[in-house]
Amino acid sequence: MTAETASASELAPGEGKYVYCIIRNDRSREFGEIGIGNGQRVYSINHKDLSAVVSDTPIVIYDPTRENVLAHEFVNETVMREFTLIPMSFGTVFRSENDVLALLRSTYQAFTDVLDKMQDKIEFGLKILWDRDKVVAAIERDNDEIRRLKDEITRNAASSTYFARMQLGRLVEAAMEDASNRYVTDIHEQLKSVSVASRSNKVIGDRMILNAAFLVDRKDEKGFDEKVKAISLQYEDLLSFKYTGPWPPYNFVNIKLKLEKAT
Amino acid sequence: MGLLTNILLAPFLGPVWGTRFTLDKVDRAVREQLTDDTPIKEDLMALQLKLEMGEIDDDEYVKQETEIMQRLRDVREWRERFGMSVGGGPVRVAEEQETE
Repeated sequence: MTAETASASELAPGEGKYVYCIIRNDRSREFGEIGIGNGQRVYSINHKDLSAVVSDTPIVIYDPTRENVLAHEFVNETVMREFTLIPMSFGTVFRSENDVLALLRSTYQAFTDVLDKMQDKIEFGLKILWDRDKVVAAIERDNDEIRRLKDEITRNAASSTYFARMQLGRLVEAAMEDASNRYVTDIHEQLKSVSVASRSNKVIGDRMILNAAFLVDRKDEKGFDEKVKAISLQYEDLLSFKYTGPWPPYNFVNIKLKLEKAT
Repeated sequence: MGLLTNILLAPFLGPVWGTRFTLDKVDRAVREQLTDDTPIKEDLMALQLKLEMGEIDDDEYVKQETEIMQRLRDVREWRERFGMSVGGGPVRVAEEQETE
């Protein structure tokens, strides 16, 4: 019986604090019942002019399910409408309000510096996937050597050698890599004037050629948006674009917090 | 398991120290595989992309997500068992920094 009660009280929200982000704010703030774990109340814990945006939570490890990740992101999106924020990693849980205050106190200067730097900056995500068949068709159209070799192989289907086919395959692969680099460079170049910084992440799957995040000044949001639309029109026959945001600057804030497991 | 059996039953077993060295290496490889969540996270991102691109529906997503979450939990458990650090769970500011 006692064990059961203990585990039940461990699961009751109240003691732990799930931290979503850090903002500059010196008043008590409420952000609504939108927190992780069935709409917990989201509010601020303040130290001087900094706040941690938190909700109460049992001391648990949160799985990065879509539901949980969306809850985390939704809180940050909501806070972002009013504040420049430093996002915390998904699943960051502190044992108590005091532990959160210790974080704000000990990292006060670093948070302040980053908030200054990120003032009015937002992030956009851009994933670009290509349609292999269409790109290959375009390459065959534009590359004389490949076209000749392919014609030759098709004309002499029976007698064409394994070597010729291998050579064609290699040429196409190389041409595709060239094309991918050319597209990516061109797109980065076009977006440079409307963004402050960019970061390329590892591509996912074999159709993606770009998985990038762009840091954009709020005043350039419209310009960035228009540029992305223009680029996706320019490449609409070859590439598909997955454009997301605005996000908090997840990819551009790199504070190494010295945290340890709270036992 | 298959790899281990192959090594154990190999007809050309070397000197004892050689075998032990190989086993240690296998052990390390297995351990790394059990405790590395990078490929699982990549699978999760790939799954998410499939949903975003409309290649799978919500039901399929949830089904595969459940499997991936289980794999993540398994890795977490192995890491705990091997005394390695585990992401998630309660944290606090590390001692040294508080005194800075």
